[in-house]
This record gives sequence, structure tokens and C-alpha cells, in this order.
Amino acid sequence: MEKNFILAGFGGQGILLAGTILANAFMLDGKNVTWYPCYGAEMRGGTVNCEVVVSDTEVSSVHKQDTDFALVLNQQSFDRFVQRVKTGGAIIANSTLVAEKRLRDDISYFFAPMTKIANELGSSKITNVVSLGVLSSVCKILSKDALKNGIEKVLGTKKKELIPLNFKALEAGSEAIVNV
Amino acid sequence: MKDCEKVLIKGNYAIAQAAVNAGCQCYFGYPITPQTEIGEYLSGKMQELGRGYVCAESELAAINMVMGAVSTGVKAMTSSSSCAVALMQEALSYAASDELPVVLVNVMRTGPGLGYIYPAQGDYNQAVYGGGNGDYKVIVLAPSTVQECIDLTYRAFYLAQKYRNPTILLADGLLGQMMEPASFGKYPYPEIDTSAWALSGAKGRDARAIYSCARDEKAQIQHIKDLFKKFEVIKENETSFEEINTEDADIILTAFGSMARNIKAAIKVLRKNGIKAGYFRPITLSPFPSQRINELAKQGKDFIVVEMNMGQMYKDVKYAINGQSDIALVNRPCGEWLSVEEIVDSVKKVMEKNYATSL
Repeated sequence: MEKNFILAGFGGQGILLAGTILANAFMLDGKNVTWYPCYGAEMRGGTVNCEVVVSDTEVSSVHKQDTDFALVLNQQSFDRFVQRVKTGGAIIANSTLVAEKRLRDDISYFFAPMTKIANELGSSKITNVVSLGVLSSVCKILSKDALKNGIEKVLGTKKKELIPLNFKALEAGSEAIVNV
Repeated sequence: MKDCEKVLIKGNYAIAQAAVNAGCQCYFGYPITPQTEIGEYLSGKMQELGRGYVCAESELAAINMVMGAVSTGVKAMTSSSSCAVALMQEALSYAASDELPVVLVNVMRTGPGLGYIYPAQGDYNQAVYGGGNGDYKVIVLAPSTVQECIDLTYRAFYLAQKYRNPTILLADGLLGQMMEPASFGKYPYPEIDTSAWALSGAKGRDARAIYSCARDEKAQIQHIKDLFKKFEVIKENETSFEEINTEDADIILTAFGSMARNIKAAIKVLRKNGIKAGYFRPITLSPFPSQRINELAKQGKDFIVVEMNMGQMYKDVKYAINGQSDIALVNRPCGEWLSVEEIVDSVKKVMEKNYATSL
């Protein structure tokens, strides 16, 4: 088993951090995993993405042409990465900022108002963790508990006070698809 | 893999922390993407530990500072990327002749010229054959995973001091920027006694000097011969490679560095397609595992070299094969790493064409 995830959105939406939490979650779940960011002349307000590959055995290619899951938080990222989802794969989009269009019939679409949910929880900054919650509800190999471990690992002791809010965001995200 | 010691870490930070664990006392460097995290990490860490850190005014200054530091017997390093490592070539020639244990990390980006910040493997020749003057050789180690970034950084410091020879860790932007679980363990090598040659202050003994040349023909001839004799010993003792499924293979895929991850996956796909493919990865690019490649070629096994440059390691593999079997090149000069699917397709095409030429 080898699956890959592309996470993409505006710079400032916490994409790289979400990818780091995701990769830690898989690592703590006993899997092999890699995380690779786009890097270049990126700037605030521009788009940013990272790729996470998880495998039962050694991870082969770190940076792939197509993806099993695309988690996109803004319209530009949706337009760009919907093309790269494998047949049978899924795109999970933030419907607060992305128009709900389903132009391909060979992939699954999941829309959830991630920024809206985050704002209701008190901060749009938590959109990235809401999105991971949504991802966990559509991705069988990713459990909410693993993500909780990932959050604890990344926030560590320095930002321990933020853990309850992040857990709440994860829960809210994981229930979003059913509720919509 | 449920080892609690594992941490998810970027290749660049892994190299930096490994250097700290290896006992690196001084870091000198100048920022350049995609390896800036190494200097960034060490700027804080070295101060915290009371060790030396200088953000040099140029790459030329940085490597000369390393030469100064290691000549006193301590471990020191610099790190940089492709076009800036080009600026350090003169110093590498001097350090090889001076027999100084300089450690240089090159996190490769695209070239030639200024190139671009994305990963590539175009510095194979620069590292292995060098851009400095004269007959000299450096040790070159090429990691393919973040774990190896740690293991080979340890080894680079050890080999540099053991043989008093400049040693390059040749990583690439992909390895530098990616995160992967890895564990540090402890620096696994013994400390090398440098007291017999280090410029540590002449109190109580005769003064010493380190020269890069002998001003006498015979002595200079002997000096170069000694350097090459030393490298023969390095070749004998330190050549290393990774080999999978070569025993029954008809065709062997070979690549160095992070590109090797993709050929490792490709041979599994090829085997499922009924092609008996094997995997061979040089870990030391210099000394190059020519002898093993020659043995495999002697058994009639053909080779396909996969690399992100115009065919630099290809020439060394071809030289090692020495006409005993066929060889082809699958490459791209820079940009996105050749995917597993592209490699599998290319290998099939090469085999259909009966190994005619490179793609």
C-alpha cells in the first residue's frame, strides 16, 4: 500500500503545518511517510502546497505526478490540483472558498465549509485542522486518533494550551461531510 | 518502525543535528537555497553549545575558514549548493594537497550557471572529479534518505579525519527539503587522534607548518604519489553500495542519491511485468564501486543508469562495465524527478530497442 496526499491553499492557511501533522500522524501510526513542500519564490497570499506519501514499505517517489487525495483550501488550488487526482481518487475542498463544481466523473468530490466551521470555533486560523478532520472522514487509512497524536506531537509542550481547540476543530471537521 | 526515537525531520536539519552529534566544533557558511536551514539551525545550536558559528561574507571565505579550523585538529564544516560550491573548488584542491579533513555538504540545485533552486543531480562531476587544479581526489558520499543524511554525515566527519582528506556529502534539494522519520542514535565512530599533525600551538614542541606543495621536484612527485596511494587504501576500505535482486537479474538499474528511491520501486514493478530487474546504488561516489559493477557486467548483466543530469555517473558505470555488457541512460537534466512509471516505461523501451542508445 502506498498512497499520496497533496495539500494546497493560500500561503498563511497553515498548509505546511497541516501536512506536518498528517505526516506525524502516519509516523506515530507505525507507517513509513515522507513530506515534501513546494519551495520557490513563494509569498504571502500566493499558493502553497505540500505532498505527503504514506507506505507500508519504504516510500519510493517523494514527489509524484498524480495523487490519491487532494485536500484544497482555495479556488486556485482546486483548479490546479483537480487535474492531478488519479482515477478513483478524491478531492476534498473548502467550500467556503471553492465553488462546488464536479467536472470529472472518475473521481470523488467532497465539499465542506472549512473556513466557516473554523470561524464558528473562534478562529479562521484553525481551518487547516478542520480540513484534516474532513480528510479523516473520507480516507480509510487515516484515523482521528492518529491525527490527535500528530497534533500533540507537533504542538508539543510549548503550545500545549492550543491542543483542546485543535481537537475540537478535528471533531467538527470529521462531522462536516455528514452534516452538509 | 514503532521506535519512539524516530522523529519526523527535514533532511537539512538532520544533516545539521548530525554534524553537532559528530562533534563538529565550527560551522562556516553563506546562505543559499535549498540548504539554508543547515546554517539557520546551527546559528542557534552552535551558540547554545559554545561552539563556533560564522556567517561568512562569501563561500570562498567560508571554505577557507573551514581549512583554518580543521588544521588545528578540530572538526569543522561548511555547507552550500551547486553554483556556490563551484566557488569553493580552489580550496578543495588545496585542502586535498594539504591533507586537511574538510567536510563540505552540497545540497544540489539546478545548474549550470546560477541555475534554479529546484533539485537536480548535475554536480556529480563537480564533486567526483572536482573543479580544482591538479591531481587530487575527494571522498564523496551520496545519501538517498533522511536517515542516510544522518548516517553519512557521521561517516563524512569520520572519514575526513581518518584519512585526512576532504569529504563531500552530496545531497540534493529534494532530500534537503523533505521530511521523513529518522533516528539519530549516537555518533558511532571512534575519535581520531590529530595530535601528530595538528597546528595546535608549538609550546613544548617544534613548530609545524602545513604546505600544499613541496618546492622540490622529487618531493612533489612523491607527495602526489602518496596522495594517490592513500586513496587506494580508501578505495579498498571504504567503498560502499547497496544491491538488491542482482543475483538473477538480466538488467540492473542504477542511480545515486534520492533518485535511487524511484528505481527501487521501479524494479518491483518491472519484476511484476516479468522483467528480471536488479538494483544497484553507489553510496560512495568517490571511491566509485567500479569493481563490483565490473563483476556484475562480467556475468552478462546489462545496466541502465537513471539520473537527473545529462549522464554524468553514466560515464563511470560505462567505464566500469568496460564493454562486457550493454548500458543505456534514462535521464532528465532537471525538473521533476523521473517518476516510477516513467522509469518503468523507459526501461521497457530500452529493452525493446535492444539497448541501442540512450533516450
